[in-house]
Amino acid sequence: MKPAMAKLEFCVFFLLYLAINSNSANVDNIASELKFKNVDRTIDVTSQLVKIVSKITLENTGKSPVKNFLLAVEASAKNNLAYIGAKDSNSKDLRILETTVKGYDYVKFWRVELKEALDAGTSLYVVTEAVFTKALLPFPTAITQQEVQLVKYIGNLYAYTPYYVTSQKTVVNIKTKTVEAFTKVKPFSQQEGSIIYGPYPNTGPFTEKELSVHYKNNSPFLTVTRLERLIEVSHWGNIAIEEVVEVEHTGAKLKGPFSRYDYQQDHHSGPASVRSYKTLLPASASDVYYRDTNGNISTSNMKVKKDSVEVELRPRYPLFGGWRTHYTLGYNVPSYEYLFHSGNDYLLKMRVIDHIFDDMQVDEVVTKVILPEGSVVSKLLIPYPVTRLPDSLHFTYLDTKGRPVIKFVKNNVVENHIQDFQIRYTFPRLLMFQEPLLVVGFLFALFLLVIIYVRLDFSIHKPEHHHKD
Amino acid sequence: MSLEIESMVRYAAPINPAVFPHLTLLLLGIGIFFTAWFFVYEVTSTKASRDLFKELLLSLVAALFSGFGILFLLLWVGIFV
Repeated sequence: MKPAMAKLEFCVFFLLYLAINSNSANVDNIASELKFKNVDRTIDVTSQLVKIVSKITLENTGKSPVKNFLLAVEASAKNNLAYIGAKDSNSKDLRILETTVKGYDYVKFWRVELKEALDAGTSLYVVTEAVFTKALLPFPTAITQQEVQLVKYIGNLYAYTPYYVTSQKTVVNIKTKTVEAFTKVKPFSQQEGSIIYGPYPNTGPFTEKELSVHYKNNSPFLTVTRLERLIEVSHWGNIAIEEVVEVEHTGAKLKGPFSRYDYQQDHHSGPASVRSYKTLLPASASDVYYRDTNGNISTSNMKVKKDSVEVELRPRYPLFGGWRTHYTLGYNVPSYEYLFHSGNDYLLKMRVIDHIFDDMQVDEVVTKVILPEGSVVSKLLIPYPVTRLPDSLHFTYLDTKGRPVIKFVKNNVVENHIQDFQIRYTFPRLLMFQEPLLVVGFLFALFLLVIIYVRLDFSIHKPEHHHKD
Repeated sequence: MSLEIESMVRYAAPINPAVFPHLTLLLLGIGIFFTAWFFVYEVTSTKASRDLFKELLLSLVAALFSGFGILFLLLWVGIFV
C-alpha cells in the first residue's frame, strides 16, 4: 500500500508543479501607460542560433506604479523560440511567466515580474534575452564540398513589443564581411562583422517589418536530434552518467560527391563541415568513455582543466550537411558532489542536461534518473516546464524488485537550459545490506546443497563389509 | 524553492572507494580459504566422522566473507550496484 500512496502523493505534487509552471490560463492586459524609452537590440547570428539581447529602458508615464510588463514574440518566430529570460540592472534573474492577452491569440506573451514596482514618472533598465533555434535557413540549401555555407536570417527590423517605443537601435552581428544582401532601411550602416540599424524614432506597438540578412556562416550547424541522458545513483558513493547522442548536420546539404582526398589534402576543404567538437564535463568526471555500436571511438582527446573536463570528440567521419552520427558518452562522478542527505531523506541535485558543444541545439532531451532499489520519491523540482513520463523500473545487477526510474522529456533545448533539477527521496540505509546479503544467501544455499548431497547415497548395491572406523 | 538543501549534508560513500581493492582482496582471501576448508572437510570426512554443526559454521563463514568480497569486487571494477 505504501508505494502506491507515495506515488499518489507524488502525482499530486507533480500536478501542483504543472499548475504553477504552465500558467497557460493567465490573462493579462497591456498597460498603456508603459513605454519603452529606449531599446538597444543585439541580434547575434554568428552561430547556428539566433540570440537576441534587448537592453530596454522602461518608463512609466502613467499615474500609478506598475509591477510587471509584457514581452511578446511575433507569430512567425514563436515556434522557433527555445528560451526567453529577463534580468534587471544588477543582472539578477527576474521571474517570468507565460501569459496571454485577449485579442492577440497569435502572439506569444510573457509577463516579467519586477522586483520593485515602477513608480509613476520613473524609468528602469531591463535586459531580456531570447534564443531561437532553426531560424537561420541555409540558402542555397545544398552546396558542394568546396563551397562556403550561406544562410539567410529573416527577422523583425523593430523590437516586437506591445508598447510604444520612443527610440530603438538594432545591431546584427554576423562576424563576416561576406554579405550577399541585407535589408536597407535608413538610417543604417554596415561595419566589419555587423550591420547597425537605427536609431528609429517612435514606433507603435506590434510593429513588424521584415529584416533579412543573407551572409556567410560556416559555424557548425549541428543539431542533436535526440539526447538520452541516464543518471544512475548508487549509494556506494558513485553517480554514473551516460548520454546517448544522435547528431545531425542541419546546415546546407552536401551536393555531389565527397572526396576524402581533397578533404585530407587541403585544410580549407569542406569549410561548412564539422571535424570535431568539444564537450565539457563536470570537473569531477572520471572513467570517461566514448563509443558507438562498433565499439570504442579512438579519435578523442581528454583534457582535465581547473573547473571542467574537456573532451574533444571527433566522429568517425566528418559531418557534412544532412549527415548524421550516433554515439554514447559516459562518465562517473562521486556522489558527494550532487547528493545530499539528512537521515534517510536524500536530495539529488543535478543538471537536466549538460554541455554537448558550444551553441548547441537539442530537439529532444530524455532525462532518466535511476534511484537505488527501495527508494521512494517524494518530490521533483525542475526549473522549467517538462513532460513527465510514467515512472518505470530498471533491473541491473543484484536487483530484486527493480530500481525506480524517473523520466522526463523536454523539446527544443539550448545552453540556457543547463540548469539543476532536484529530486527528493527516502531510502532506508539498512537496505544497502540487501545486495551483499543476496550474494551471501546464494553462496550459503550452494554450500547447503553440498551438505545435503554428501548425505545422499546413490550406490546401486550395498557394500558387503561396512567400513570399520 | 529549494527543498531545504541548507539543512542537509553532502552524502559521501559509507566506505571510501579507495579501499575497495584492499577490502576485496582481504575478504575474498578469507572467503576462499574457508570455502576450501569446507570442501576439503566435505570430501575427507566419512559418514561417521561428519559434524553437521562444523559444516554449517564453516559454510556460513565462507559465504559471509565471499559474499562481501564479491560485492567489493563488483564495486572495485566499476559495477556500482
